[in-house]
Amino acid sequence: MLGFPNGSGGDGVGAEDLSQLQSTMRAIELACSYIQINSNPVAAEATILSLHQSPQPYKACRYILENSQVANARFQAAAAIREAAIREWSFLATDDKGGLISFCLGYVMQHANSSEGYVLSKVSSVAAQLMKRGWLEFTPADKEVFFYQINQAILGSRGLDVQFIGINFLESLVSEFSPSTSSAMGLPREFHENCRKSLEQNFLKTFYQWAKDAALSVTNKIIASHSSVPEVKVCNATLRLMYQILNWEFRYSKGGGTRASINVFSDGIRVDNALARKTECVIVQPGASWCDVLLSSSHVGWLINLYSSVRQKFDLEGYWLDCPVAVSARKLIVQLCSLAGEIFPSNNAQMREQHLLLLLSGVLPWIDPPDVISKEIEEGKSGSEMIDGCRALLSIGTVTTPVVFDQLLRSLRPFGTLTLLSMLMGEVVKVLMANSTDEETWSYEARDILLDTWTTLLASMDGSGGNAWLPPEGMHAAASLFSLIVESELKVASASGRGTVDPTETLEEVYSLLLIIGHVLADEGEGETALVPDAVQSHFVDVVEANNHPVVVLSSSIIKFAEQCLDAEMRSSIFSPRLMEAVIWFLARWSFTYLMLVEDCNLGSNQLQSLPSRACLFTFFNEHNQGKFVLDIIVRISLTSLMSFPGEKDLQELTCFQLLHALVRRRNICFHLLSLDSWRNLANAFANDKSLFLLNSVSQRSLAQTLVLSAYGMQSSDASNQYVKDLMAHMTSSLVDLTNNSDLKNLAQQPDIIMLVSCVLERLRGAASATEPRTQRAVYEMGLSVMNPVLRLLEVYKHESAVIYLLLKFVVDWVDGQLSYLEAHETAVVINFCMSLLQIYSSHNIGKISLSLSSTLLNEAKTEKYKDLRALLQLLSHLCSKDMVDFSSDSIETQSTNISQVVYFGLHIITPLITLELLKYPKLCFDYFSLISHMLEVYPETLAQLNNDAFSHVLTTVDFGLHQQDVDIVTMCLRALKALASYHYKEKNAGNSGLGSHAAGHTDPNGVFHEGILSRFLRTLLHFLLFEDYSTDLVSTAADALFPLILCEPNLYQGLGNELIEKQANPNFKTRLANALQVLTTSNQLSSSLDRLNYQRFRKNLNNFLVEVRGFLKTR
Amino acid sequence: MSDDEHHFESSDAGASKTYPQQAGNIRKGGHIVIKGRPCKVVEVSTSKTGKHGHAKCHFVAIDIFTSKKLEDIVPSSHNCDVPHVNRVDYQLIDISEDGFVSLLTDNGSTKDDLKLPTDEALLTQLKNGFEEGKDIVVSVMSAMGEEQMCALKEVGPK
Repeated sequence: MLGFPNGSGGDGVGAEDLSQLQSTMRAIELACSYIQINSNPVAAEATILSLHQSPQPYKACRYILENSQVANARFQAAAAIREAAIREWSFLATDDKGGLISFCLGYVMQHANSSEGYVLSKVSSVAAQLMKRGWLEFTPADKEVFFYQINQAILGSRGLDVQFIGINFLESLVSEFSPSTSSAMGLPREFHENCRKSLEQNFLKTFYQWAKDAALSVTNKIIASHSSVPEVKVCNATLRLMYQILNWEFRYSKGGGTRASINVFSDGIRVDNALARKTECVIVQPGASWCDVLLSSSHVGWLINLYSSVRQKFDLEGYWLDCPVAVSARKLIVQLCSLAGEIFPSNNAQMREQHLLLLLSGVLPWIDPPDVISKEIEEGKSGSEMIDGCRALLSIGTVTTPVVFDQLLRSLRPFGTLTLLSMLMGEVVKVLMANSTDEETWSYEARDILLDTWTTLLASMDGSGGNAWLPPEGMHAAASLFSLIVESELKVASASGRGTVDPTETLEEVYSLLLIIGHVLADEGEGETALVPDAVQSHFVDVVEANNHPVVVLSSSIIKFAEQCLDAEMRSSIFSPRLMEAVIWFLARWSFTYLMLVEDCNLGSNQLQSLPSRACLFTFFNEHNQGKFVLDIIVRISLTSLMSFPGEKDLQELTCFQLLHALVRRRNICFHLLSLDSWRNLANAFANDKSLFLLNSVSQRSLAQTLVLSAYGMQSSDASNQYVKDLMAHMTSSLVDLTNNSDLKNLAQQPDIIMLVSCVLERLRGAASATEPRTQRAVYEMGLSVMNPVLRLLEVYKHESAVIYLLLKFVVDWVDGQLSYLEAHETAVVINFCMSLLQIYSSHNIGKISLSLSSTLLNEAKTEKYKDLRALLQLLSHLCSKDMVDFSSDSIETQSTNISQVVYFGLHIITPLITLELLKYPKLCFDYFSLISHMLEVYPETLAQLNNDAFSHVLTTVDFGLHQQDVDIVTMCLRALKALASYHYKEKNAGNSGLGSHAAGHTDPNGVFHEGILSRFLRTLLHFLLFEDYSTDLVSTAADALFPLILCEPNLYQGLGNELIEKQANPNFKTRLANALQVLTTSNQLSSSLDRLNYQRFRKNLNNFLVEVRGFLKTR
Repeated sequence: MSDDEHHFESSDAGASKTYPQQAGNIRKGGHIVIKGRPCKVVEVSTSKTGKHGHAKCHFVAIDIFTSKKLEDIVPSSHNCDVPHVNRVDYQLIDISEDGFVSLLTDNGSTKDDLKLPTDEALLTQLKNGFEEGKDIVVSVMSAMGEEQMCALKEVGPK
């Protein structure tokens, strides 16, 4: 006996036992009070832990719970019951299991009026956890007994306190069964999933009904009474429980009921559905069976009524809005607003609208009229009701279309919901502007929620023809809200200026206007061709003359304004660097959408094509009209911004990256650029003007790239090549001259020379990265002419790491751009050059020790080393790519040996420099593993030739990579493993040695056997697949690696399988695992050859296998 | 580029110790003079003065000889002084009892005025390597009239 007979007994405690129990109790009480006063907490914790860990501590715990005066001791006793029972569950007799739960439930009911609520909550949650633990073994009759007791309590026949306790217990129970809040029990995922399914299908609705009934039983009292009565506590608990139940992630609600299987691969908390992804709003979809309890029983009406009558009663008591019961009621109302799915019969659209209408009418007093309410809040009323009202609108907006959303309010007000939404947000924005503090006030929160609502409503229309879906009044409401926002933002912007002579006020206004207009006129292009926004295209239908088109007028006036910056006087008085940034930003965004459009390219939807207003908008800025003129202005403005704002890094970057780069990316614009004097001036300044050498480095590089790309606009390939040659000749010759100087060693260390060299290298790199078929020759020759200088500079700048990095990056980009075009003899030249580069670099860096005393400088040195290594890895990867992408006319065979040798050599140089510490840099890690996986896939024989140290170093890193979080890294390591194992298997079958001793394992001088690497990875991979968390995306790649590993090491695989089966205590699991393992290697006619078909079959097998076994192997 | 930059005049002994350079162009990893000390820049950030003012550069730098941290703020279009930092490699030929080393210069003479590093571990490594007969190359850094050993490297046994 455990001291928990199923009844209420326990009298049979002997005297000896009693003294022992008392001493245990005293020890625990003492420990608890020590912890409280923080005196020797370690020893005290140990005492409590020993109770938790002692075998069958139930008797003692019960004694403490029933007799101790120290609340903390009772709390700990309850915790100990939980610990012990979960641990010892499978050894407990069925009666004892039930007895423990009965005891806990009985205890909380008996002590329901105790003031120490936390002890009761704890005991209640222990009961809930134990009930879940036994859920699948208890018979329906067993459960019936417990739930009868609970139901009686909730009905209120045993008093309010017991009623509260009963509801509280259900709360714990539901939370235990919900995957995101359940406690760990060390049980298979399947177990948790089955419990959840059972509760959802058989109990959840009943619980909701009970909660409803309990609430009904107390509401009359609450409404009738004049002060807060104890019934409020019960009412609040029922509302909380109902809210919690509606928060349940319903999975078994859909018709068939078998839709969901467990996601066995990760602990994904919530399976996103398409609707929920739209906003943060949770959609409640309990399924058709819930219709009676939630909809057809006037539940919503009751709730709305309850809230509004109590609200009315406490109208004068401002605090009431933030009372727990008011908060819970509003939460439940908002939650009911997001009800959706099959609960609404598909043939009864009215029901759904009525439901929402009812809710909206309840919520309306919280938010309408907006101006009155916002004034009240500003005068001290709580804003929480208003915010919940906004949330309700968001929920309704999420589950309806804009038209339905708008229509809802019309039966209650002379205007639609969209108009209310607009008014409401207008009020919020006004308040927000009035108190422009940084403090987070209610208006911040309300604005964010309302913005989400707008986004939700408007996003549901995109792509589908636009505003046809938004009712006209809604469009008006949105537009007036927008103009209100613009107006108030401008007001705030201009208010920030001080004094009358200070131009800041005007500048700020112009600055904001530029940004606003840019956003209105054009969409963000981000990687694709930006279309003229549909709204702009379709709106001004009656305009037929370009000069009258508002968009043309607006654009022209901004361009005219921007042109003013060309005048030096205007520039110094008006165009601050920041305003100039806005100008450039606008021009970039605008020209991407409007400048020199190619027919049929930037047109949006077809139905708008025939509009004359559209035609005049499209042709006005094209190449036959104003396009060229505007392009010229833009180039001149760009040159000004680069030359006349020294040191303004952000402005330079915007000009180079956003504006100029976007221009040359469009081929038709290149043709026009090259015919412009202004573009020639820019190119000239780039080659010869000292002030452009002062641009910061990234802009320098980008500008070179842009100019080289523009060469596309020349008529022929020869002309394009000549253009690039002329552009870069100055740079290459300056490097050649410098390195030919006899005093190079001293000269090179002068700061002005370092700066010159850095600048030239950035430009060369920019040009190299602009390689295109048309200019490839010129860029190749450019690189060829500086090969020797580069090696010389690598030597003289060995202590100047910043320059070394630039040198490496130039070579990386140049090789990347060129290699695929090169003929065999050219490839050989490039490869020899790279070999020399690698050799020189490593001779300078292996074994070098910095003597600096500064830890900052030492860290810097490490980071520099990391960046260099990354560049070298990229170089090797690019070299590898020659075997993949090759446009040259020679056959592959003539060069492949070359490539594999240089990469092999490179790996030898680089591996000693790569440490696991360095692999923690994500980018380096990525580059390293992409090289390794590529190497192993393409040249597995190269790896086999590596010496023992290098070989095991590479594989240690692969093992490290397998355990990274990043899916890409793991994928690359798996691919590497696949390559390695399949290479070995194929070689073996062909009678060769394959990986030889690396795979066979060896016995060290001490007689200890070291497993071969394939065996090691088979173990690792199996463990990974069965027991670790990973994304499902990895399964196929893992299958491709596992299959050849199994074929290489069949005996080990057999052994590991048996070991796994033996470990299973549950005979059912044992059989299932054995079967699954059998099926894994035999089903789908899997055979032992490594061909595509077999890989495919094995992928399918492994997937099925994991779905079958991970449910019980993986525990929580 | 102006014409004189085509001929890289070799700098004679009297060459200037510092060169002017636009603040916006000094980057992390480069050198700068702050409060009269030659430093290596470890952090550069740009900020704007007022809503419509000019950009400024904020430098955090480490004195290359004393390892002290120094900071400076300069408008990005203004010039800063950049020290001429020279590094020369010498072969180590002797370690003397009094804490000085003897180095072999390019033209065959010796340089005997440099002190050993103070770091105990490095010192041991240097001495051991030297006693084992390894070829050791010492890098010496000089700027603005000061001089210090900054790195060493074993190039293998003799």
